[in-house]
Amino acid sequence: MASAEPRSYRWSMPANWWTRNRRYFFYVVREFTALPMALWLLWLLYDIKGAGSGAAGFQPPRSAAFVAFSAVCFLFATYHSYTFLKLAGVIIHLRVMDKTVPPRVIVLTMFGLWAVASIVIGAVLIGFAR
Amino acid sequence: MSVQATRHKTALSHLFFWFLFANGGGLAALVLPVHILVQGILGPLKVAPVVDQHYDTWIQILGNPLVKLYILVLVALSFFHFAHRLRYLLVDFGVPAAKSLPAQAIFYGGAAAITLITVWILLTTAPLSLG
Repeated sequence: MASAEPRSYRWSMPANWWTRNRRYFFYVVREFTALPMALWLLWLLYDIKGAGSGAAGFQPPRSAAFVAFSAVCFLFATYHSYTFLKLAGVIIHLRVMDKTVPPRVIVLTMFGLWAVASIVIGAVLIGFAR
Repeated sequence: MSVQATRHKTALSHLFFWFLFANGGGLAALVLPVHILVQGILGPLKVAPVVDQHYDTWIQILGNPLVKLYILVLVALSFFHFAHRLRYLLVDFGVPAAKSLPAQAIFYGGAAAITLITVWILLTTAPLSLG
């Protein structure tokens, strides 16, 4: 006769589940992009705070290590942009004059907005420089 | 009656955090790559002149109230997005505790704390100027 004690089954994902499939891997990369972007924004706050110490104590970021760090963050940030804006066609549902806007049009609009925002911000950051 | 009322109750907190998550992700997607490219790579390598490479231009642009507001919105929304993504990444990696209330307090509380620190930095670093 079997034991009266109920046996429970606890299933858990193996730790390396995300390395077993290309789609899983890129899903984790997409979620992970938040960390380097957060670190870069924290650096931006540090850079802003540095301006408060006055002209004498101001050290503009110019080291090779900082450029390397930024290059890595740039790759992750670009991947975040590509994946997030590509999803816009699934997330955003628009109706104009009783007709549903095709998802492809929404995605193209978002990528167009990305280009315009990049040009405007780049122009401000470079145009107001000395 | 009370069952009906419960069934139709709007998940306001879910709506609130989803709003922050979606808009933070969208804003970061639209503007963060160009900030990193220009301020993190082109400026330090002297490929292009950039405002934060010189004290006078950096402090002048930081004094603009629109710039202060832009930086605050960018940091606040982005960090709520990051908090949400990293919390669920931990869940995906087999840390169910990341779903708990203390974990939510840590992640979203951290985003709120960084928002407050940003307000303090923006108010104390460069005096307001419209020039």
